[in-house]
Amino acid sequence: MITKEETGLCEHALGYALANGATKVRVTLAKSQEDLIATLNGEIDRVTHCLDRSLSVALFCEGKFGSFSTNKLEEKALDDFVIKALNTVRMLAVDSCRDLPSTERCEKNAVSGNELELVDPGYHDISPEQRKRIALDASIFGKPGESCPELVSEEGEYSDSIYDTLLLDSNGTRCRHTETSFDYGVEMTVEVDGDKYSGYWWHSSSRLNGLRYGECGPKALKRAMGHAGAVPVKSGKYNMVIESDVASKVVSPILHALNGYSIQQNNSFLMDSLGKKMFPDGVNLVDLPHIKGNSCSKLFDSEGVATREGPIIENGTVRQYFINTYMAGKLGMAPTVEEPVRPALMSWPEKGLDSRAIMKMCSEGILVTDFNGGNCNSATGDFSYGIEGYYFKDGEIVKPVCEMLITGNFLKLWKNVIAIGDDARECMSKLIPTLAFSKVDFSG
Amino acid sequence: MNNSDKFGLTVNQLQSLVAEGLKGGGDWCDLYFEDTTYTDLLLRDGEVNAGGFNIDYGCGIRVLAGERTGYAYSETTDYPSLLSAARAAAGIASSGRFTAVACNAKPYQSYSMQKDWRSVSSGSFVPFLEKIDKGIRARDSRAIKVVAMLSYSVSDIMMYNSLGELTCDCRPLGSISISVIFSQGGQLEKSTASRSFRKGPEMLDDALVEELVGLAVKGIDERFAARRPKGGKMSVVMAAGASGILLHEAMGHAFEADFNRKGQSVFADRMGKRICPEGINIIDDGTVPFNRGSIRYDDEGVPAQKTYMVTDGVLTSYLHDRISASWYGVAPTGNGRRESFRYNPIPRMRATYMESGTDGTLDDLVASVKKGVFVDQFANGQVKIGEGDFTFYVQSGFLIENGKLTMPVKDINIIGNGPQALSDIAAVAGDLRIDNGTWTCGKEQSVAVSCGIPSVLINNLTVGGE
Repeated sequence: MITKEETGLCEHALGYALANGATKVRVTLAKSQEDLIATLNGEIDRVTHCLDRSLSVALFCEGKFGSFSTNKLEEKALDDFVIKALNTVRMLAVDSCRDLPSTERCEKNAVSGNELELVDPGYHDISPEQRKRIALDASIFGKPGESCPELVSEEGEYSDSIYDTLLLDSNGTRCRHTETSFDYGVEMTVEVDGDKYSGYWWHSSSRLNGLRYGECGPKALKRAMGHAGAVPVKSGKYNMVIESDVASKVVSPILHALNGYSIQQNNSFLMDSLGKKMFPDGVNLVDLPHIKGNSCSKLFDSEGVATREGPIIENGTVRQYFINTYMAGKLGMAPTVEEPVRPALMSWPEKGLDSRAIMKMCSEGILVTDFNGGNCNSATGDFSYGIEGYYFKDGEIVKPVCEMLITGNFLKLWKNVIAIGDDARECMSKLIPTLAFSKVDFSG
Repeated sequence: MNNSDKFGLTVNQLQSLVAEGLKGGGDWCDLYFEDTTYTDLLLRDGEVNAGGFNIDYGCGIRVLAGERTGYAYSETTDYPSLLSAARAAAGIASSGRFTAVACNAKPYQSYSMQKDWRSVSSGSFVPFLEKIDKGIRARDSRAIKVVAMLSYSVSDIMMYNSLGELTCDCRPLGSISISVIFSQGGQLEKSTASRSFRKGPEMLDDALVEELVGLAVKGIDERFAARRPKGGKMSVVMAAGASGILLHEAMGHAFEADFNRKGQSVFADRMGKRICPEGINIIDDGTVPFNRGSIRYDDEGVPAQKTYMVTDGVLTSYLHDRISASWYGVAPTGNGRRESFRYNPIPRMRATYMESGTDGTLDDLVASVKKGVFVDQFANGQVKIGEGDFTFYVQSGFLIENGKLTMPVKDINIIGNGPQALSDIAAVAGDLRIDNGTWTCGKEQSVAVSCGIPSVLINNLTVGGE
């Protein structure tokens, strides 16, 4: 997708910056195309065509650093941009920790961009009519046997896109990543006894033939209808089971706390945790960045550093911080990668568990199917989130619940982990399965 | 003066592009040109050692056929590229003709920047950030880390539509965000503060430094002492200002007309009906001077205005873009907004607030509560449009016991139901304040907004706790 001319522009920008005083330079060109068809109640509602290009330049000059981007890519405009950027960098304070990553750390095998087989070879052959047909096929509004009288609104969105990224730096690093993505998501709103309830479901794949759009409508409708009559249950401590499609909510703050920026700024509830046992034995979190054909896999990070498979948390012990070149200098630690690519939580205490099996294991509690707002104090790990889902007893769903809150601290929450399932959705960027915790404070 | 020279097109070419967009049978076409430069400067570890800028340039072309939308954009504004985008957007309609109308240029509008951000070197703002850093550290020696970011943008905008209306605007937005980590006896606490205005660099004065430093160190003793309350339903007194997030989440989104047109909102059939106690007026306003949520024109070229959504307790208006206004047969309210030329406009809030009431002061409200919480600093919020369930995250507050503020509380979420919360408003003080923090609404696209409210007492909200 990135043309020879555009590659030439990147090389020109890099050379022009060096010729005008930069000591080191990184240039990244990100190009994408997206076509989107939105439907409302079984009819085409919106058609969108997007084509984006953005050139980013990281400049190191006189011990100083700045980061700039533009989508004005004519050569003259680009030259003016580089000169203005260099003038801006010169006004900043010297920061001796800023540097490009060493070439030894950088990826050398991302040449074609498709080494991880994330490009659907048929992408460019998809016609506008085919897109419309998929969007309309996916709709179940008004279709006998699939829709229902309670359905008042169905809003669906099909999109296909291609992303192409080229990274060059003045140390000679050259990496490319190309990926296609096919996505369908649908929001259903139903009205039951005068009250409205909504449900959403989506699927995504790097290949069109891997997109399971047909399952989205029925699943979203089932979720909306399942919430009918939801009310809060009595406040108290319950077992909490979190469905896999929303379970990353209680993992993302951990990854944020392990980031070098958070550590360096003392803005982390996992300060000084490297090599320490902070979680129970059963917690094993690994990064799996190189799975071929798996959306979001990537060979290099935004600095061009090669990603690698390895443990983040091993048997409860923290094994990795995410430290880029800058933070390595600031912290006086060895650099790793900027952030995890495909973090995956391994099943425990046994393989093959899904939400149903885990509810049986817990016997009684609340199954969380969605979060509604809330936040986490990144310095302390204290959190409070709105939730909705179902109260279950003897492993079976009893009634829907809504308008409830969970409140606690992430380190304490994870100390009470009961089970980690084996049902992560492959279409998500984080492979987090169904999770279960005991003694969680619910307010309602 | 207009921006057509800046984007390199003649009025005749604008007319031709609209004609091309409508060739397929659409009944509305508009063009949205944008040239934005976004700049930031970052202070970390006592020095301004990172910064940069981003240039974003292009034109979005929208074609409407009834309520259906075709949208495409180009990152270059040469005529052939725009013609191609117009043809892509025209794909939403199947047949039809367009008769060119005369150009009706609206007066060029600019916000009152005393000086354009673009005319000043960003290096001249370094001392402002350094003063904030020094001020915080001087005020509270427990501050071990300070991150302060100045960001500012100026957008040149030009809009042209199939009514022949040509509208130009120049939109400044300056923001400062601060994050501070405090340490006391091995315990860490975090505070944040921000301010944002549609002004030029003249906003960066000593008074703003003082205000931001004060906000950043406010209530730190209480945060170190704070505990989680026992959770459950209780009365909540919300302080004037940032508590306006309640209106944004609990009501504002549900009043956006696209959700109502599609039958998704909990307020879809409540127009003209009482939804909260008499005497309450809730407004969405694009005309508050220098406010982050203010606009001279929305992103469909409609002049900004002050829209009463609730008048004396009765739902009187949704927030409309041109599509929903046409569908409901009312005039657009100037709420058609977008993140950039990459997005089609949809109904969005601007500055959303409640007018002052007559139920005394904040102290009167606290004194009237036997058991509840008082909240005054917030982070984020969210709403489920169909159900009306909303939440907002409270960074700090106090328990109320027998009419007095007692134990400090922090990091709790509050949840409620929009229609129920509106009817549970028990008292409204006379101290309306609009908050000038860096509020950003994320409904599909990010847009700058703000919110405000007088101190209010609401019964029966659910407070998170242990």
